[in-house]
Amino acid sequence: MTNILYTHKSLVEKSKLGDRNAQYKLYELYVDAMYNISMRMMHIKEDAEDVVQDSFIEAFNNLSSFRYESTFGSWLKRIVINKSINQLKKKKIPVVPIENQMFHIKEDIEDVPPEIDIKNIIKGIRLLPPGYQQIINLYLIEGYDHVEISEILEITPSTSKSQYHRAKKKLIEIVKTL
Amino acid sequence: MDNFEKYIKENKALFDVHKADKSKLWANIESGLNKPEPKTKTIKLWSQPILKVAATVVITLGLFSLINILIVGQANKNTQNNIALQELNDIDSHYKGLVAYQVKLVNKSTQLSSEEKKEFLSFMDELDIEYGLLKIELQKNVDSERVLEAIVINYKKRIELIENLLEQINSSKKLDNDDVYIL
Repeated sequence: MTNILYTHKSLVEKSKLGDRNAQYKLYELYVDAMYNISMRMMHIKEDAEDVVQDSFIEAFNNLSSFRYESTFGSWLKRIVINKSINQLKKKKIPVVPIENQMFHIKEDIEDVPPEIDIKNIIKGIRLLPPGYQQIINLYLIEGYDHVEISEILEITPSTSKSQYHRAKKKLIEIVKTL
Repeated sequence: MDNFEKYIKENKALFDVHKADKSKLWANIESGLNKPEPKTKTIKLWSQPILKVAATVVITLGLFSLINILIVGQANKNTQNNIALQELNDIDSHYKGLVAYQVKLVNKSTQLSSEEKKEFLSFMDELDIEYGLLKIELQKNVDSERVLEAIVINYKKRIELIENLLEQINSSKKLDNDDVYIL
């Protein structure tokens, strides 16, 4: 398990010393993943590119503070997520659901279609209100738990949990109509 | 985790549908990165002739002032030593006279037996030896002020001893006189 934390250790160590080649290799390994994360949150190509650029610059310039407490990838990913959330806030796009946006959904469990096309799920997420999109992205796709999401979105873990359940039910409803 | 969540987690890779414009993004990133420490630059600066001359001047000045400080320091030490010797002469002429006078008084005294006188004077000789050692110490220039102080104490001790002795002689004289009166 601990070995995973040291993935690309030699590249990271060289990058810490300012080795441009090592930095480029790390960039090449992670840029697509980071760009996709940012695209899922920002939706606009230029905005996502700005976030990715700023994130890599911040990561490389502050690499000395990276101490293998997580993998380099998840450390970088967190920078991308935080920058995306900040950008959304700047653009006044809600990162958590607004009260009157909340759907009142029956408590009974929705029927989930057995094999849904992933493309439809992607489309369905796009049709959710912005606040719900972020929580679905963070939990379902990025794989953060509710404690981590509560830190990222500055909400309580229980709010994260309840919002996620609402968002998921709404998503299933939407996907069914597609 | 329900089936829906499971299904999405299993197909996570399919959510990455975008491709980044690698070269464009890298160009922007590279311009924002801290420059690696320019190690060679400093060396280059020193290879410039003007800076070489400047460095030589600075080093020469530094060496000169260092030597200067050492010479002045030595001279100061010498003058300090001279002052100390001068002071010793003053102390000597002052106390020597006193001691010699009082030793003479003791010698003259008829109250003391020659044995007692001998004992007392041998004690004075011991102090004389100590004085000699202190004088050598002073020439070594350890801490002239403290050595001078010790010399003064040495002298004072002698005078005190003699004074005590004389006082004893005088008081015994008085006692004798009293005895006479009582009788």
